Amino acid sequence: MAGERQTGAGRAAPGGDGLLQVEELRTYFDTDEGTARAVDGVSFRVSRGRTLGLVGESGCGKSVTALSILRLVPSPPGRIASGRILFEGRDLVTLSNEEMRQVRGNRIAMVFQEPMTSLNPVFTIGSQVSEALLFHRKVTKAEARAETVELLRRVHLPAPEERADAYPHQLSGGMKQRAMIAMALACRPDLLIADEPTTALDVTVAAQILDLLKELQADFGMSVLLITHDMGVVAETTDEVAVMYAGHLVESGSTPALFTRPLHPYTIGLFRSLPTLGAEQRRLAAIPGTVPSPLRFPAGCRFHPRCFLSRGRGRCREEEPEFRALVPPGGAEPPHLSRCHFAEEAAEVEVEL
Amino acid sequence: MSGANAANGYLVEVRDLRKHFPVRAGVFSRLRGWLRAVDGVSLGVGAGETVGLVGESGCGKTTLGRTILRLLEPTTGDILFAGRSILPLHGTELRALRRDMQIIFQDPYGSLNPRMTVARIVGEPFAVHRVARGRERRRLVTQLLERVGLEPEALDRYPHEFSGGQRQRIGIARAIALAPKFIVCDEPVSSLDVSIQAQILNLLEDLQEEFGLSYLFIAHDLRVVAHISQRVAVMYLGRIVELAPRRELYQSPLHPYTRALLAAIPTIDPVSRRPKLRLPGDVPSPVNPPPGCPFHPRCPVAEPACQETEPKLTEVSPGHFVACFVAVRSPEG
Repeated sequence: MAGERQTGAGRAAPGGDGLLQVEELRTYFDTDEGTARAVDGVSFRVSRGRTLGLVGESGCGKSVTALSILRLVPSPPGRIASGRILFEGRDLVTLSNEEMRQVRGNRIAMVFQEPMTSLNPVFTIGSQVSEALLFHRKVTKAEARAETVELLRRVHLPAPEERADAYPHQLSGGMKQRAMIAMALACRPDLLIADEPTTALDVTVAAQILDLLKELQADFGMSVLLITHDMGVVAETTDEVAVMYAGHLVESGSTPALFTRPLHPYTIGLFRSLPTLGAEQRRLAAIPGTVPSPLRFPAGCRFHPRCFLSRGRGRCREEEPEFRALVPPGGAEPPHLSRCHFAEEAAEVEVEL
Repeated sequence: MSGANAANGYLVEVRDLRKHFPVRAGVFSRLRGWLRAVDGVSLGVGAGETVGLVGESGCGKTTLGRTILRLLEPTTGDILFAGRSILPLHGTELRALRRDMQIIFQDPYGSLNPRMTVARIVGEPFAVHRVARGRERRRLVTQLLERVGLEPEALDRYPHEFSGGQRQRIGIARAIALAPKFIVCDEPVSSLDVSIQAQILNLLEDLQEEFGLSYLFIAHDLRVVAHISQRVAVMYLGRIVELAPRRELYQSPLHPYTRALLAAIPTIDPVSRRPKLRLPGDVPSPVNPPPGCPFHPRCPVAEPACQETEPKLTEVSPGHFVACFVAVRSPEG
């Protein structure tokens, strides 16, 4: 099973503009109860200057995917069991730890959900932003300091000279997240991985941070892999989207295409469970049941026990669906892929947003 | 103060409620100031009604919910249940009141005792109020679990064996055990995934219909609040800045803060992305709230008067209240 690479996103890779290409990635955790297949055959591509949203609910494997790309999966118990992570053509899986350190924080940077826990409380904001500059680039302390203040200004942190000497606890949640972003941008990375960057923030502050990320991406021309559970965040900030469920992708495509015509019952279910501000107070169509444990994925289609389309059809129970293109790829558009035997039926389902 | 108590017949009503916490610091714990978590709130919840309470962290919505239940003692103001003040109650009377007023917490992990079985957790209200014991209690608990969508097998299991959504169902079963009339739902779905969130919202709606419950539904997510509530109150730094029927609140919001909250919600429509109104800065601390209108430092339409005088919550159209000089003057916006 491991190592086979037949699925759509992995195959449809003409290269060229693909900055990051993940192919059939499998990241497993060995536990007392067995092997947890947290990431179980994930393939996607992040193109240069574009934003890909990786969306899914807790436990679907989206954060482990991000940690795998940065080779930050705690091992043991975790391990990248198979697959390739091509970054500018180099397979990150095979790099030595030393080579990986040159990539991490330099070419690929990350912003985490909890700015409080990702900043070191005993160092000033400025010294933490300069750290990456001093580590990856040949700069003097004075140059690093000047650049740090400039970065803090760039992320619209008020009074950047003073904030550089502040400690994390002296900053509000929104300001801490801005400082984190400044740290991530220090070495002008080609790829920014943002894992739920706004989840811990208040709504009005979250909106500011999303605006900032969009602005910086346009200015720096970097690619962004945005990991989130929020379909609204995906709609507002991404060019392409990949929906993850139970360790693998169930749907991917351009953001407008996926929101206009979702092709997987899970994606449809996510849309229908969202409360809207619409005029009518309709009953929410919840997805029944819960996300399966990565220790025991259901046989056949992993979503079939919760699926409104399956309704006990034998094929869903027995045969694992392929990740297939439904709308033929044309031009610059990424192909619209779905992992559903009955994706043609899903396409007919009316979804009100 | 406002028209919130103009119409009588509320099941639960608070009048000019304040809850201030002392802020102490230093070796001698000197009093450094007061945190005005709730600072003059008047609000009523009708029988069978859901009133939503929305705001960002530190706005006082959780403190308000707990003070209404007297889990916290108010600094000043009054709380009425079925027309009678509950502030003089204590001992047996207060315990009796707890049968009518319940709470569901945000964190289904922290609010269930990990060393107790589900049978004990959900059966505890029966024990405290000496309603049923032994086999009869177990039968009632089984019925409750069934009502919230849990199998009888759950009885002898422990909280950690359940998912977040199932734990929230256990918390709901405990809250409805003694057939209360009023439940404070404090961010009941905030820590849940969207698909599970929808299950719990539907369950709360079903229970309301079945038992004629009244809810005070507290959340930071305006989408969730607007979905479940008939009326919505928006809180900022301890005050209600706008109160309106749900439809009116999102169709014609009047307070600049409400407008910003609505604009901050990402639209589920990737085709119509457009620049939006954004509030500068962060939510200020309730320890030293700004003078005048508490919102003026972040307000896009603030005037000199806003820095000096605090606007009162004023009814601008039937049932629609707003605390803003500018909005009251020209409610068309």
